[in-house]
Amino acid sequence: MSQHDTNQDNHLADFADQVLQGKINTSASSSDADMVRLEETILRLKTTLPSTNAPDTAKTKQMLVRLKARMKREEETEKIPFWKKLFDFQSNPQVGMLVVIAAVLILAVITVPSLEFGGGNNPTTGTANNNANFLIGGGIVGLLLLVYWIFRRK
Amino acid sequence: MATTKYMENTSNPLSPEANDEVLIAQFKAGRTEAFDFLYQRHLPSVYKRVRYVVPENDVEDVTQEIFIAAIKSLSSFRGDSQFSTWLRTLTNHKVAEFYRKRTRKQEPLLAALSEANATMTGNTSKNMEERVYLQRALQDLPENYREVLLLRFAEDLQFNEIAQLTNQNLEATKSLFRRAVAALRAHLDK
Repeated sequence: MSQHDTNQDNHLADFADQVLQGKINTSASSSDADMVRLEETILRLKTTLPSTNAPDTAKTKQMLVRLKARMKREEETEKIPFWKKLFDFQSNPQVGMLVVIAAVLILAVITVPSLEFGGGNNPTTGTANNNANFLIGGGIVGLLLLVYWIFRRK
Repeated sequence: MATTKYMENTSNPLSPEANDEVLIAQFKAGRTEAFDFLYQRHLPSVYKRVRYVVPENDVEDVTQEIFIAAIKSLSSFRGDSQFSTWLRTLTNHKVAEFYRKRTRKQEPLLAALSEANATMTGNTSKNMEERVYLQRALQDLPENYREVLLLRFAEDLQFNEIAQLTNQNLEATKSLFRRAVAALRAHLDK
Protein backbone atom coordinates (compact mmCIF):
# COMPACT_ATOMS: atom_id res chain seq x y z
CA MET A 1 0.00 0.00 0.00
CA SER A 2 1.41 3.39 -0.98
CA GLN A 3 1.84 6.31 1.38
CA HIS A 4 -0.73 8.18 -0.72
CA ASP A 5 -3.32 5.47 -0.14
CA THR A 6 -2.59 5.40 3.58
CA ASN A 7 -3.00 9.16 3.76
CA GLN A 8 -6.32 8.93 1.94
CA ASP A 9 -7.50 6.14 4.24
CA ASN A 10 -6.62 8.21 7.30
CA HIS A 11 -8.16 11.35 5.84
CA LEU A 12 -11.47 9.66 5.05
CA ALA A 13 -11.60 7.91 8.43
CA ASP A 14 -10.99 11.25 10.20
CA PHE A 15 -13.61 12.90 8.04
CA ALA A 16 -16.15 10.19 8.95
CA ASP A 17 -15.31 10.61 12.65
CA GLN A 18 -15.90 14.36 12.47
CA VAL A 19 -19.15 13.96 10.52
CA LEU A 20 -20.45 11.45 13.05
CA GLN A 21 -19.47 13.77 15.91
CA GLY A 22 -21.44 16.54 14.23
CA LYS A 23 -18.37 18.74 13.64
CA ILE A 24 -18.82 18.69 9.86
CA ASN A 25 -22.24 18.53 8.30
CA THR A 26 -22.39 20.37 5.03
CA SER A 27 -19.37 20.50 2.79
CA ALA A 28 -16.48 18.31 1.69
CA SER A 29 -13.06 19.39 2.93
CA SER A 30 -10.66 17.87 0.39
CA SER A 31 -9.28 19.28 -2.86
CA ASP A 32 -8.93 15.82 -4.41
CA ALA A 33 -11.98 15.24 -6.67
CA ASP A 34 -12.23 11.51 -5.89
CA MET A 35 -11.95 12.18 -2.20
CA VAL A 36 -14.65 14.84 -2.42
CA ARG A 37 -17.01 12.24 -3.92
CA LEU A 38 -16.27 9.85 -1.07
CA GLU A 39 -16.81 12.60 1.50
CA GLU A 40 -20.12 13.45 -0.13
CA THR A 41 -21.14 9.80 0.16
CA ILE A 42 -20.38 9.87 3.88
CA LEU A 43 -22.39 13.06 4.31
CA ARG A 44 -25.24 11.49 2.36
CA LEU A 45 -25.18 8.44 4.62
CA LYS A 46 -25.14 10.61 7.73
CA THR A 47 -28.00 12.81 6.48
CA THR A 48 -30.24 10.10 5.10
CA LEU A 49 -29.58 7.36 7.62
CA PRO A 50 -28.88 9.21 10.88
CA SER A 51 -27.65 7.01 13.71
CA THR A 52 -30.47 5.80 15.91
CA ASN A 53 -30.73 5.98 19.66
CA ALA A 54 -31.13 2.63 21.32
CA PRO A 55 -34.65 1.95 22.65
CA ASP A 56 -35.07 3.25 26.20
CA THR A 57 -35.85 0.95 29.14
CA ALA A 58 -39.62 1.27 28.77
CA LYS A 59 -39.55 0.53 25.06
CA THR A 60 -37.17 -2.39 25.61
CA LYS A 61 -39.61 -3.90 28.10
CA GLN A 62 -42.55 -3.36 25.76
CA MET A 63 -40.64 -5.02 22.93
CA LEU A 64 -39.78 -7.96 25.18
CA VAL A 65 -43.45 -8.39 26.13
CA ARG A 66 -44.45 -8.34 22.45
CA LEU A 67 -41.67 -10.80 21.63
CA LYS A 68 -42.93 -13.24 24.26
CA ALA A 69 -46.52 -12.84 23.07
CA ARG A 70 -45.46 -13.58 19.51
CA MET A 71 -43.50 -16.65 20.58
CA LYS A 72 -46.50 -17.91 22.52
CA ARG A 73 -48.72 -17.45 19.46
CA GLU A 74 -46.23 -19.26 17.26
CA GLU A 75 -45.95 -22.06 19.80
CA GLU A 76 -49.71 -22.54 19.84
CA THR A 77 -49.86 -22.57 16.06
CA GLU A 78 -47.08 -25.13 15.86
CA LYS A 79 -48.80 -27.37 18.42
CA ILE A 80 -51.99 -27.89 16.35
CA PRO A 81 -51.53 -31.22 14.54
CA PHE A 82 -51.90 -31.45 10.78
CA TRP A 83 -55.07 -33.53 10.81
CA LYS A 84 -56.74 -31.06 13.15
CA LYS A 85 -55.82 -28.16 10.87
CA LEU A 86 -57.12 -30.16 7.90
CA PHE A 87 -60.46 -30.80 9.52
CA ASP A 88 -60.87 -27.25 10.76
CA PHE A 89 -63.92 -26.59 8.62
CA GLN A 90 -64.15 -22.95 9.56
CA SER A 91 -60.76 -22.16 8.06
CA ASN A 92 -61.01 -24.95 5.44
CA PRO A 93 -64.62 -24.88 4.18
CA GLN A 94 -63.48 -26.75 1.07
CA VAL A 95 -62.65 -29.81 3.19
CA GLY A 96 -66.13 -29.66 4.73
CA MET A 97 -67.62 -29.51 1.26
CA LEU A 98 -65.50 -32.50 0.22
CA VAL A 99 -66.78 -34.52 3.16
CA VAL A 100 -70.40 -33.81 2.17
CA ILE A 101 -69.73 -34.65 -1.49
CA ALA A 102 -67.96 -37.87 -0.46
CA ALA A 103 -70.98 -38.80 1.67
CA VAL A 104 -73.38 -38.25 -1.22
CA LEU A 105 -71.16 -40.20 -3.63
CA ILE A 106 -70.81 -43.14 -1.26
CA LEU A 107 -74.56 -43.23 -0.75
CA ALA A 108 -75.11 -43.12 -4.52
CA VAL A 109 -72.54 -45.84 -5.30
CA ILE A 110 -73.96 -48.18 -2.67
CA THR A 111 -77.64 -47.70 -3.36
CA VAL A 112 -77.86 -47.37 -7.18
CA PRO A 113 -76.54 -50.89 -8.08
CA SER A 114 -78.88 -52.43 -5.52
CA LEU A 115 -81.86 -50.81 -7.18
CA GLU A 116 -80.76 -52.16 -10.58
CA PHE A 117 -80.09 -55.77 -9.56
CA GLY A 118 -82.69 -56.13 -6.92
CA GLY A 119 -85.64 -55.78 -9.36
CA GLY A 120 -87.22 -58.78 -11.26
CA ASN A 121 -85.47 -62.15 -10.82
CA ASN A 122 -84.77 -62.40 -7.15
CA PRO A 123 -86.88 -59.94 -5.22
CA THR A 124 -86.20 -61.46 -1.82
CA THR A 125 -82.37 -61.31 -2.12
CA GLY A 126 -82.57 -57.90 -3.75
CA THR A 127 -84.63 -56.53 -0.91
CA ALA A 128 -82.21 -57.92 1.67
CA ASN A 129 -79.20 -56.50 -0.22
CA ASN A 130 -81.00 -53.26 -0.63
CA ASN A 131 -81.69 -52.94 3.07
CA ALA A 132 -78.14 -53.94 4.02
CA ASN A 133 -76.63 -51.48 1.55
CA PHE A 134 -78.90 -48.73 2.79
CA LEU A 135 -77.82 -49.45 6.34
CA ILE A 136 -74.09 -49.43 5.43
CA GLY A 137 -74.44 -46.31 3.28
CA GLY A 138 -76.50 -44.55 5.89
CA GLY A 139 -73.98 -45.51 8.56
CA ILE A 140 -71.04 -44.12 6.57
CA VAL A 141 -72.90 -40.94 5.73
CA GLY A 142 -73.93 -40.58 9.34
CA LEU A 143 -70.33 -41.07 10.43
CA LEU A 144 -69.08 -38.44 7.99
CA LEU A 145 -71.73 -35.99 9.11
CA LEU A 146 -70.81 -36.70 12.72
CA VAL A 147 -67.13 -35.95 11.96
CA TYR A 148 -68.19 -32.76 10.19
CA TRP A 149 -70.38 -31.69 13.11
CA ILE A 150 -67.72 -32.42 15.76
CA PHE A 151 -64.97 -30.49 14.00
CA ARG A 152 -67.28 -27.64 13.11
CA ARG A 153 -68.09 -27.07 16.76
CA LYS A 154 -64.40 -26.66 17.75
CA MET B 1 -38.65 -27.09 22.37
CA ALA B 2 -36.50 -24.09 23.30
CA THR B 3 -39.28 -21.53 22.85
CA THR B 4 -41.66 -23.51 25.04
CA LYS B 5 -39.03 -23.76 27.73
CA TYR B 6 -38.45 -20.03 27.42
CA MET B 7 -42.05 -19.29 28.39
CA GLU B 8 -41.63 -21.08 31.72
CA ASN B 9 -40.10 -19.17 34.58
CA THR B 10 -38.23 -20.47 37.56
CA SER B 11 -38.39 -18.78 40.94
CA ASN B 12 -34.80 -17.67 41.83
CA PRO B 13 -33.80 -14.41 40.15
CA LEU B 14 -30.58 -14.22 38.12
CA SER B 15 -28.06 -11.42 38.25
CA PRO B 16 -28.41 -9.00 35.34
CA GLU B 17 -24.69 -8.20 35.75
CA ALA B 18 -23.65 -11.75 34.89
CA ASN B 19 -21.64 -11.92 31.69
CA ASP B 20 -22.94 -13.44 28.45
CA GLU B 21 -21.22 -16.79 29.00
CA VAL B 22 -22.78 -17.21 32.43
CA LEU B 23 -26.23 -16.22 31.19
CA ILE B 24 -25.99 -18.61 28.24
CA ALA B 25 -24.90 -21.43 30.54
CA GLN B 26 -27.86 -20.64 32.82
CA PHE B 27 -30.20 -20.64 29.83
CA LYS B 28 -28.89 -24.00 28.70
CA ALA B 29 -29.36 -25.33 32.23
CA GLY B 30 -33.04 -24.45 32.04
CA ARG B 31 -32.96 -20.97 33.60
CA THR B 32 -34.73 -19.60 30.58
CA GLU B 33 -35.28 -16.16 32.10
CA ALA B 34 -31.54 -15.61 31.57
CA PHE B 35 -32.49 -14.78 28.02
CA ASP B 36 -34.33 -11.65 29.24
CA PHE B 37 -31.00 -10.22 30.38
CA LEU B 38 -29.28 -11.20 27.16
CA TYR B 39 -32.15 -9.54 25.29
CA GLN B 40 -31.95 -6.32 27.27
CA ARG B 41 -28.17 -6.20 26.88
CA HIS B 42 -28.01 -6.83 23.16
CA LEU B 43 -31.23 -5.24 21.91
CA PRO B 44 -29.64 -1.78 21.45
CA SER B 45 -26.97 -2.92 18.96
CA VAL B 46 -29.34 -5.27 17.13
CA TYR B 47 -32.03 -2.60 16.94
CA LYS B 48 -29.66 0.10 15.70
CA ARG B 49 -28.27 -2.19 13.02
CA VAL B 50 -31.70 -3.37 11.86
CA ARG B 51 -33.09 0.15 11.81
CA TYR B 52 -30.18 1.27 9.66
CA VAL B 53 -30.82 -1.27 6.91
CA VAL B 54 -34.54 -2.13 7.06
CA PRO B 55 -37.55 0.12 6.31
CA GLU B 56 -39.00 1.71 9.44
CA ASN B 57 -42.25 -0.28 9.38
CA ASP B 58 -40.42 -3.60 9.49
CA VAL B 59 -37.79 -2.85 12.15
CA GLU B 60 -39.54 -4.40 15.15
CA ASP B 61 -40.72 -7.40 13.18
CA VAL B 62 -37.23 -8.22 11.92
CA THR B 63 -35.76 -7.59 15.39
CA GLN B 64 -38.25 -10.05 16.88
CA GLU B 65 -37.36 -12.65 14.28
CA ILE B 66 -33.68 -12.30 15.16
CA PHE B 67 -34.30 -12.93 18.86
CA ILE B 68 -36.71 -15.79 18.19
CA ALA B 69 -34.05 -17.42 16.01
CA ALA B 70 -31.51 -16.77 18.77
CA ILE B 71 -33.66 -18.51 21.38
CA LYS B 72 -34.25 -21.47 19.10
CA SER B 73 -30.57 -21.99 18.34
CA LEU B 74 -28.97 -20.83 21.58
CA SER B 75 -28.84 -24.38 22.91
CA SER B 76 -26.46 -25.24 20.05
CA PHE B 77 -24.27 -22.14 20.62
CA ARG B 78 -20.83 -23.54 21.45
CA GLY B 79 -19.09 -20.32 22.39
CA ASP B 80 -16.49 -20.49 19.60
CA SER B 81 -17.10 -16.78 19.08
CA GLN B 82 -18.47 -14.07 21.33
CA PHE B 83 -22.25 -14.03 21.71
CA SER B 84 -22.37 -10.50 20.28
CA THR B 85 -20.50 -11.66 17.16
CA TRP B 86 -22.81 -14.65 16.82
CA LEU B 87 -25.85 -12.40 17.20
CA ARG B 88 -24.46 -9.95 14.63
CA THR B 89 -24.12 -12.80 12.11
CA LEU B 90 -27.66 -13.92 12.90
CA THR B 91 -28.86 -10.34 12.38
CA ASN B 92 -27.19 -10.18 8.97
CA HIS B 93 -28.82 -13.47 7.96
CA LYS B 94 -32.25 -12.32 9.05
CA VAL B 95 -31.90 -8.98 7.25
CA ALA B 96 -30.81 -10.83 4.09
CA GLU B 97 -33.79 -13.17 4.51
CA PHE B 98 -36.08 -10.15 4.87
CA TYR B 99 -34.88 -8.78 1.53
CA ARG B 100 -35.08 -12.23 -0.11
CA LYS B 101 -38.71 -12.63 0.99
CA ARG B 102 -39.47 -9.16 -0.28
CA THR B 103 -37.86 -9.93 -3.62
CA ARG B 104 -40.02 -13.03 -3.97
CA LYS B 105 -43.17 -11.02 -3.35
CA GLN B 106 -42.30 -8.07 -5.58
CA GLU B 107 -39.36 -5.98 -6.65
CA PRO B 108 -37.99 -4.76 -3.29
CA LEU B 109 -37.13 -1.20 -4.14
CA LEU B 110 -40.51 -0.61 -5.79
CA ALA B 111 -42.32 -2.21 -2.86
CA ALA B 112 -40.61 -0.03 -0.30
CA LEU B 113 -40.99 3.08 -2.43
CA SER B 114 -44.69 2.52 -2.95
CA GLU B 115 -45.03 2.13 0.84
CA ALA B 116 -43.15 5.38 1.29
CA ASN B 117 -45.33 7.19 -1.23
CA ALA B 118 -48.50 5.82 0.27
CA THR B 119 -47.76 7.24 3.70
CA MET B 120 -45.72 10.35 3.00
CA THR B 121 -45.98 13.49 0.92
CA GLY B 122 -43.55 16.06 -0.50
CA ASN B 123 -40.09 16.29 1.01
CA THR B 124 -40.78 13.53 3.52
CA SER B 125 -41.60 11.14 0.71
CA LYS B 126 -38.40 12.13 -1.09
CA ASN B 127 -36.39 11.51 2.08
CA MET B 128 -38.01 8.11 2.47
CA GLU B 129 -37.17 7.27 -1.13
CA GLU B 130 -33.55 8.27 -0.58
CA ARG B 131 -33.48 6.22 2.62
CA VAL B 132 -34.85 3.13 0.90
CA TYR B 133 -32.45 3.63 -2.00
CA LEU B 134 -29.43 3.84 0.29
CA GLN B 135 -30.55 0.89 2.40
CA ARG B 136 -30.89 -1.22 -0.71
CA ALA B 137 -27.47 -0.07 -1.96
CA LEU B 138 -25.91 -1.05 1.37
CA GLN B 139 -27.56 -4.45 1.18
CA ASP B 140 -26.12 -5.04 -2.28
CA LEU B 141 -22.51 -4.37 -1.19
CA PRO B 142 -20.07 -7.24 -0.57
CA GLU B 143 -20.36 -8.43 3.02
CA ASN B 144 -17.02 -7.11 4.30
CA TYR B 145 -17.75 -3.64 2.89
CA ARG B 146 -21.27 -3.57 4.31
CA GLU B 147 -20.01 -4.79 7.67
CA VAL B 148 -17.40 -2.08 8.17
CA LEU B 149 -19.91 0.63 7.21
CA LEU B 150 -22.54 -0.75 9.59
CA LEU B 151 -20.09 -1.08 12.45
CA ARG B 152 -19.02 2.55 12.03
CA PHE B 153 -22.32 4.22 11.09
CA ALA B 154 -25.07 2.03 12.58
CA GLU B 155 -23.34 0.77 15.73
CA ASP B 156 -21.14 3.85 16.12
CA LEU B 157 -17.98 1.85 16.89
CA GLN B 158 -14.64 3.65 16.65
CA PHE B 159 -12.12 2.45 14.06
CA ASN B 160 -9.87 0.92 16.71
CA GLU B 161 -12.86 -0.99 18.11
CA ILE B 162 -13.74 -2.23 14.63
CA ALA B 163 -10.14 -3.31 14.10
CA GLN B 164 -10.19 -5.26 17.35
CA LEU B 165 -13.53 -6.86 16.56
CA THR B 166 -12.50 -7.94 13.08
CA ASN B 167 -8.99 -9.01 14.07
CA GLN B 168 -7.35 -6.52 11.74
CA ASN B 169 -4.88 -3.74 12.34
CA LEU B 170 -6.09 -0.13 12.31
CA GLU B 171 -4.55 0.66 8.90
CA ALA B 172 -6.26 -2.30 7.25
CA THR B 173 -9.58 -1.31 8.82
CA LYS B 174 -9.36 2.25 7.56
CA SER B 175 -8.35 1.00 4.12
CA LEU B 176 -11.33 -1.35 4.07
CA PHE B 177 -13.54 1.54 5.12
CA ARG B 178 -12.36 3.74 2.23
CA ARG B 179 -12.87 0.93 -0.29
CA ALA B 180 -16.34 0.30 1.15
CA VAL B 181 -17.31 3.96 0.77
CA ALA B 182 -15.95 3.92 -2.81
CA ALA B 183 -17.96 0.80 -3.61
CA LEU B 184 -21.10 2.37 -2.19
CA ARG B 185 -20.48 5.51 -4.23
CA ALA B 186 -19.99 3.47 -7.40
CA HIS B 187 -23.21 1.59 -6.65
CA LEU B 188 -25.14 4.81 -6.14
CA ASP B 189 -23.76 6.25 -9.41
CA LYS B 190 -25.06 3.31 -11.47
